[in-house]
Amino acid sequence: MNPRNNKDCRKQQKDNQVEDNRCGRREFLKKAAKVAALGSAAMVTGGAAGWKVSGEEVRLRWEEYLKGYYRLMTQKEKDETVRRLERLAKLKRGVDIQMSNKEPVEGVLFGYAFNVTRCEGFMECVDACVKENNLDRKSHTQYIRIFEMEHGQMLPEQGNGKYYHEVPVPNHYYMGVQCFHCENAPCVKACPTKATWQEPDGIVVVDYDWCIGCRYCMAACPYWGRRFNWNEPDVPNKEMTKKQHYLGNRMRSRGQMEKCTFCIQRSREGKLPACVDACPTGARVFGNLLDPKSEIRFVLKHKKVYRLKEDLGTDPKFWYFID
Amino acid sequence: MKTPIHKIFFFGILSTVMIVFSWQHSYAGQEGVQYKAKNAIAPFDDEKKMDSVPSLPDDSIMVTPKYQGGAFWTLTRKDKVERFKCTQCHNPEKNNTEQTVPTAHGDIILIHGGEEPLSCFTCHKEDERDFLVTEKGLKVDLDHSYQLCTQCHFRQAKDWVGGAHGKRVSYWAGKRVVKNCTACHNPHSPRFKKRWPKTYSLPLK
Amino acid sequence: MVQEKAIIKTSSVKSLITFVKDIIYWNLSGGIGYQLYLCFLAAFMMFGIYAYMVQFNLGLSATNMSNIVSWGLYISNFTFLVGVAAAAVMLILPAYIFKDKDLYKVVIVGEVVAIGALVMCLMFVFVDLGGPLNAWHLIPGIGFFNWPSSLLTWDIIVLNGYLALNLLIPGYIVYCHYRNREPDPRKYRPFIFISIFWAFGIHLVTAFLYQGLPARPFWNNPLMGPRFLASAFAAGPALMAVVLIIINAVSEFKVEKQTFNKLRLIMVVSAIINLIMLFSEIFKEFYFPTHHSLPAVYLFFGLKGHNTLVPWIWSAIGMNLLGTLILAFNPGRNHPKVLFPACILLFLGIWIEKGIGLIVPGLVPSPMGEVIDYAPSWVEIGITLGVFSLGIFVVSVLLKPALIIEKRFEVEQGT
Repeated sequence: MNPRNNKDCRKQQKDNQVEDNRCGRREFLKKAAKVAALGSAAMVTGGAAGWKVSGEEVRLRWEEYLKGYYRLMTQKEKDETVRRLERLAKLKRGVDIQMSNKEPVEGVLFGYAFNVTRCEGFMECVDACVKENNLDRKSHTQYIRIFEMEHGQMLPEQGNGKYYHEVPVPNHYYMGVQCFHCENAPCVKACPTKATWQEPDGIVVVDYDWCIGCRYCMAACPYWGRRFNWNEPDVPNKEMTKKQHYLGNRMRSRGQMEKCTFCIQRSREGKLPACVDACPTGARVFGNLLDPKSEIRFVLKHKKVYRLKEDLGTDPKFWYFID
Repeated sequence: MKTPIHKIFFFGILSTVMIVFSWQHSYAGQEGVQYKAKNAIAPFDDEKKMDSVPSLPDDSIMVTPKYQGGAFWTLTRKDKVERFKCTQCHNPEKNNTEQTVPTAHGDIILIHGGEEPLSCFTCHKEDERDFLVTEKGLKVDLDHSYQLCTQCHFRQAKDWVGGAHGKRVSYWAGKRVVKNCTACHNPHSPRFKKRWPKTYSLPLK
Repeated sequence: MVQEKAIIKTSSVKSLITFVKDIIYWNLSGGIGYQLYLCFLAAFMMFGIYAYMVQFNLGLSATNMSNIVSWGLYISNFTFLVGVAAAAVMLILPAYIFKDKDLYKVVIVGEVVAIGALVMCLMFVFVDLGGPLNAWHLIPGIGFFNWPSSLLTWDIIVLNGYLALNLLIPGYIVYCHYRNREPDPRKYRPFIFISIFWAFGIHLVTAFLYQGLPARPFWNNPLMGPRFLASAFAAGPALMAVVLIIINAVSEFKVEKQTFNKLRLIMVVSAIINLIMLFSEIFKEFYFPTHHSLPAVYLFFGLKGHNTLVPWIWSAIGMNLLGTLILAFNPGRNHPKVLFPACILLFLGIWIEKGIGLIVPGLVPSPMGEVIDYAPSWVEIGITLGVFSLGIFVVSVLLKPALIIEKRFEVEQGT
């Protein structure tokens, strides 16, 4: 960077018997330290944001950055952070969103069943999930993956998750995987900041702002259920789902982990997740495991159900069955 | 070998505590979510537990069978069939000849029944065109067309009543409203058509 | 020449402040070669910082990591360097516990190399984080520290603890030598004991990070911990031998051949144990291959057309074997000209096999069976070079004054 002639500099120093600050490494490192300090200040307040950032936005972002752990917040603090995020969405992106932080309903434990006989590989669920959960369009993130399997194979590892042709293909069947919301989730155990945890209604959630992006949970998940925001997610405002939940489909930023949340913004309101609603063949069943009259309990009682990688002891709440 | 008695005592108690603790901990893993679900027999009152329970949609009608939670509803069909009230055309006064069949119902392709296909009058009541008819001669309203399907497809019917087949409309909580058989399956050619997937998955990232 | 002047020029009244000042001074003085070397390292560090700014702006999409290969070059290097750091115990144990005179003389080199390696480890973890600004979430009290559940928290504790131990113990001893007095054994010996167990601890905990994941069958085997220790105790002393050879050649600090012989013996035994464990793993994967062997197949032979790692792992095994054989048969009779390439070969072989050859196959195929290649992007390579330069810089900056002080202390003690 600075090709000072060290020889002359050293000679001068020796002659003068003085510790001269003007040459060599020390001066250079001082300059670098100044640049680094300025750079880090810029990073904290903006990072990738543009230069035209209003004072209110800076203040809101600063407050969001300094907020504590969600689970330890009081209800008032939780409501405050939701209001801040709604306001930030308006300032940053110009959209009016409704964010909720609805608590889990007592007596509810969500369960999910997938009918392997009925799935025809239409991938309507994948598309509905992308739209409902505001997934990044640039990196084509999808929480759900549908595998085309040959008859005789059981495991999705042997299937093809990248097909794109007319479906269904004869002598093949289709099955989908996503986060299975394990009762004994290895990702929850692995997270160093407990940014991911299991809510009382069974949904394994991520507090995106608390995540440090170490991706240990991603290595720990046996079902490839978790996705990472490698780049800043890009969702056109027109396509954004405006009804959001703090732990669900709100807009994430780069460096944060995300995953299927059983559409927490819908399921806590009593609605079906987007994938269940979108399936044209009715291959997906969702409901409350603690409700003896629910459809999911009927499936578990009367159908030949199985779970993937049950030998790992993760206790997933996602069953497969055949008709 | 003079081990003081208190050391033996301490070691013994400590090891017993550790063994009991580890045994308990390992045994606790036997209770999974399936065990929890099986043992949850207390009824879940949707109205009481949920903040907002949706009201029944306008186009729903109660079905005759009962599921494990009592009565349930399905969506009506009469308002969704374009040319309903069949007696608008099919009555003694109006034109009723065979020449109109291709123009009126030429778009219907009947592929139902495999080797021994069904005919139109297997389901439609010949003398009362507004209604359907079962094999035994029972008159069935169009909104309750599921009663015809259950004659042959009794396995799917049982699953439909219980919830393993078919689709629930929009909500998992509240009064159970499900889609009618004909809402998903075209009664004249019920098999789902081949089509291209809605989207595709990338191999990486 | 300049070094003698430096010895004379230091102030007569010594304290902690003059200690720090002298360290800085000794680094700024020195021959043209040394200055150029430090400038060269600084240039690489600047490039690393630039690459990191690119990564910070774009997010980790500037790297070639993906949802399948979610850990790449950074974590590979982190894993390997923890081993190098832990290997300082192989010098500390004989030096302080068995009172081996030769190794006692060079134990400072081991500790400084450990400091450099630990600084690199922590930096690699930091640059790998997706949200580095959120790192304060780990601080217990203001954040949430998920200890003892998460092994990463254990790793944070042990790595920082070991860094502290390795900074403070040699720091105290060197400072005492600087003040021209014998360090008080009562003050540092308990910590030496702790650091010996702690060294095994850091590497076992890092191994457990991977070993404890049932989702990754390539990692989820009980041999990871012992294998990590064996490869660490081969690669670490190899690096220390290389550093000692360099010091022997360029400075006035002389290292005897017996020291090299002892290091060589440690390396040979550890490398042979490492090769036995490698054979054990290869047997398990290939005697009766199951779906769980697919990662090993991907690593050694390629899978579904993806075979970027195949040349790397085979050359790594070749280098490992060659290095071990040369060190075992000792054709040069501990001559540095033979030891130097042999140690480099062993070090590089283990770097590949324990770095990229461990992390990437653990993640490929994905838990849902999909295979994807991984090759680091320029950003990753740039940041890696920057962090390596930082480590070497730290080692040089700390080692030169330490050796000067040790030499002076030796001279003044008349030994």
